[in-house]
Amino acid sequence: MPDFSPVDYAIPAFVLLVLAEMLWAWKRRPEAYEPKDTLTSLAFGLGSTVAGVLFGGFALFVFLAADEYRLFDIGWAWWAWIACFVLDDLAYYWVHRAGHRVRWFWASHVNHHSSQHYNLSTALRQSWTGAFTLGFAFKLPLVLLGFHPAMIAICAGFNLIYQFWIHTEAVGRMPGWFEAVMNTPSHHRVHHATNPRYLDRNYAGVFIVWDRLFGTFEPENDDERIRYGIVKQLGSFNLLWSVFHEWIGMLQDIWRAPWRHKLSYLLREPGWSHDGSRETSDMIRARWRQRRGGEEKVPNENPIAAEGEPA
Amino acid sequence: MDLDLLLRLGGSLLAIFALAGLAWKLRLGGDLRIRDEAHARELAEEAVYGFDAADVAIDRAGHAALLRDANGRVLLLRRHGAHFAARLLTGHTHARLDRHQLVVGTAERRFGEVTLDLGPQAQYWAASLRRL
Repeated sequence: MPDFSPVDYAIPAFVLLVLAEMLWAWKRRPEAYEPKDTLTSLAFGLGSTVAGVLFGGFALFVFLAADEYRLFDIGWAWWAWIACFVLDDLAYYWVHRAGHRVRWFWASHVNHHSSQHYNLSTALRQSWTGAFTLGFAFKLPLVLLGFHPAMIAICAGFNLIYQFWIHTEAVGRMPGWFEAVMNTPSHHRVHHATNPRYLDRNYAGVFIVWDRLFGTFEPENDDERIRYGIVKQLGSFNLLWSVFHEWIGMLQDIWRAPWRHKLSYLLREPGWSHDGSRETSDMIRARWRQRRGGEEKVPNENPIAAEGEPA
Repeated sequence: MDLDLLLRLGGSLLAIFALAGLAWKLRLGGDLRIRDEAHARELAEEAVYGFDAADVAIDRAGHAALLRDANGRVLLLRRHGAHFAARLLTGHTHARLDRHQLVVGTAERRFGEVTLDLGPQAQYWAASLRRL
């Protein structure tokens, strides 16, 4: 296994770019950053790195075990890298989509969305508990196809690096051709928004074409101010609470629910409740549509679950 | 844990505190307050989609507000950094009146207690919270 992680080399650039964006905020948009929020987001980033060292070995073990059963030997040719990067991004789309539509996965991924700010420090707000969701299983088909686990890990690293720069309000729109194919700050602002129009949209990592293909794309509307965060804002900068609040909430729900509903609190979309006392993102969007007289057309397709959850 | 990992951990911690310190030094975040009733209504509608406040009381400093809709639901809005966070109040709410100051606590300990200086309106809101 080659011992190379592209993210390690990108960290100094991340720090410098956060610094540059802070100076931009100082001159143009002081409210774009908030010291406690920045501290929390960056602590998330450090903690996720430590969690990766502690728990990442399990995914690697499963990948290496699956590698024994690969169908082909794809090898290390240049075209294999391109194919691996594109297919890894497709797998990322589905991992990410599951991260929003299955509460078990959301319990971990919510960490990335719990800031009410949208800046480069938010990009580093990564989960500590990803290993407990088995999200890596979405990438097993790549291993079984014959891509080497190290190649997949390196492509995933570059995917993560690409996603850093799109977490900003300092960039408006990119050229049309770029917006059509690639994930951009504009597309990803939509993803982090809590406006009913934008809930559970734009799951893409690098290529926005997956959202266009699978019916989850929503363009940014210049006439609507974006509100970031989660539907029920945390209201706390406590790091440990920020990390574990959804796990605690989910386990409490499972504990209190009647037996026949317990599994639903694990596998159904966040916001779902057996007594209808809460709202999923589709319910919120339906109310929004109703209030607007149904003139808004937004995609509603979702094969993972019948209803969706707020990001 | 090897030395290289410890050094990287230490360096990362230093960078984190340096960046957060810079954000504090540059006074990023600003001093956001609830300006008026219209602003409070807008924030409430953002916090709970479709919340249409019929009655509004804003803390004198503009740090928090209480809003009630036509269905009798009461929303507590309070500043959170450079933004606002809100909670619909339930029967688990506790409220304590101290002259013109109303201290409201939600069912969520982590959301914390909120002290609102509501002037003469404090008594009226305290009574209505007891009826929740």
